[in-house]
Amino acid sequence: MRPSRHRPRLAHGFLGVLLSFLAIAAALNSPPLPLAAQEPGENAEPPSRQGTVPFSMLPSNHMLVRAMINGKGPYRLIFDLGAPVTLLSNRAAETSGVVQANAPRSFLFSMRGEAEVSRLQVGDLTAEKLPVIVFDHPALSALGDLFGRPIDGIIGFTFFARYKTTIDYQAGNMTFQPVDFQIRDLLKELPDRLTGPKTARRRVLAPAGLWGLRLNQAPAGVDTMGVPVAEVFAGSPAARAGIRPGDLITTLDDRWTVSLADVYAAASDAPPGREISITILREGCELTLTVCPSEGI
Amino acid sequence: MKPFQRFGFGSSFYGGRWVRFAVCLGLAWAVVEAARQFGAEVRPGGAADPQVGRSFRIPYRLTETNHFLVRVRINGKGPFNFLVDSGAPALYIATATAAQVGLKTPEGEFWTPVDRLDLEGGARLLGVKAKVEDPFQLVGMNALGLPGASIDGILGFTILARFRLEIDPTRDRMIWTRLNNDPPDPPVPPKADRGGPPLELQAMNALGPIAKGLALLMGRQPEERREPRGFLGVEWSESESQGSHELPGSAAPPRAVRIDRVLEGSPAAQAGLRPGDRLIQIRGQTVGGLASARSLWAETRVGDPLELVIEREEPGQEPRRLTLSIIAGEGL
Repeated sequence: MRPSRHRPRLAHGFLGVLLSFLAIAAALNSPPLPLAAQEPGENAEPPSRQGTVPFSMLPSNHMLVRAMINGKGPYRLIFDLGAPVTLLSNRAAETSGVVQANAPRSFLFSMRGEAEVSRLQVGDLTAEKLPVIVFDHPALSALGDLFGRPIDGIIGFTFFARYKTTIDYQAGNMTFQPVDFQIRDLLKELPDRLTGPKTARRRVLAPAGLWGLRLNQAPAGVDTMGVPVAEVFAGSPAARAGIRPGDLITTLDDRWTVSLADVYAAASDAPPGREISITILREGCELTLTVCPSEGI
Repeated sequence: MKPFQRFGFGSSFYGGRWVRFAVCLGLAWAVVEAARQFGAEVRPGGAADPQVGRSFRIPYRLTETNHFLVRVRINGKGPFNFLVDSGAPALYIATATAAQVGLKTPEGEFWTPVDRLDLEGGARLLGVKAKVEDPFQLVGMNALGLPGASIDGILGFTILARFRLEIDPTRDRMIWTRLNNDPPDPPVPPKADRGGPPLELQAMNALGPIAKGLALLMGRQPEERREPRGFLGVEWSESESQGSHELPGSAAPPRAVRIDRVLEGSPAAQAGLRPGDRLIQIRGQTVGGLASARSLWAETRVGDPLELVIEREEPGQEPRRLTLSIIAGEGL
């Protein structure tokens, strides 16, 4: 499939992110469709074994995998890290028996709503009870027309968040190792989120250990490199590590620190008793220091 | 050649066998180094990127909409939130972001050159191309405030394919390993087309404004407010309880939290806390060990007043209980 004759336009690129809007539109526009009553996700069992999945690249730079759906196929699906859901076209959903051919459609993109794939096989991996949404994504139709072969859907977050996913573009394959992760049901939560209270949620960032530092606010802006140290308490882990007032902390445990919140967020993942590397700017010189936060508050 | 020069320089200070040994060592090193350089694929206009083969722990944020965000700096400025999206063909930078950074698209060109793209976690790419535009998804998502953070661009295929990506949603970092793989740029639309997107996309673009309209009706979702926890300034440890606060009838003695050190000038010092004190209560709740002490303190904000009940034992005296008033300070 050489890109020479029909050069796909760059504009066809974004697939997954569009799904967010379709999901919103679906949640807002349509009453629950008959299939949505199945409560996908809740009875989904975690997959049990590791698998390798080869992929090829479409001329449009999309990753294409071949999948058997409920034993039918193969279907051509795009693997998309930016897609919050997994999607099947009406054709693919009907021919694989995921939805009945006479299931009602909504006016928008022939939306069939939520459904469940009993078995999705990609490479040597089988995912069971995978929630999908069924509709004809305009960008997929356009890509299919462009390459002369249909694209049947998109594999998104609801699939790959069940796994530790490794993508090796050079080797042209992906590996999936099951993990136990609670997948948020986007379609269920969105309406609540959208109509819910508009007050900002507050989160207190608790450092995991004691550092012995007081910081100043960093100026906001794209040139801010770090957060200035206001005070170092005598005898504290920060003092032992050689941090001084006036130092600018630029990274903590490889995380950028351009605001107080950044420092506290990074420190909340830095357990006491472990050596944590921090980078500081002192009089124009970049230094890397090692701090061992202690047990305390 | 650096090692060789270093050993060569050394020879003016030392003489004899050791110098020859050192020079040989240096030569061997230089030869191996040179072989390695030639062995690696040479990129046009320079040697292979020194980051090839290195792994980086990339912090990310999973948004409310199940999207992965990572932070980047563009030409040293930022940080900005970028979406990790293998469904996007290239690197996209929002127009407002490009303006903030001072990116300029050469006259009549489709791509905008970016000298340096840094990813939080240490990965760095030099000399990449970006498309400066406002993909409708970003416009719409930002209008709704859905993800709980503004999104300034998209890391698509031409960036992602330079790495081996390990994504585990149960961990707080992704592992990105730099490959010696420079993916081709996606095809550019013919010049005549550059004025406007194709029809299908124009239709899809309408969704951006729709989302904006929804945002007007429903209000923008506020971003989460992240606040530092209040500071006390003590080191503490857990010990078997032996104090008088032992609950009658409890089978296992509750674990006590002992103050080991009070930082000079800290809120703890100002409130009169001393090493050796045992923490009995925080905010009226009984402390049952380190984990419980930490969680009782966890929601404390800077400036919050609160009371600590402690038990203090002084030589020749019975242990006594004291209530100390503390104002949580700034610090960590």
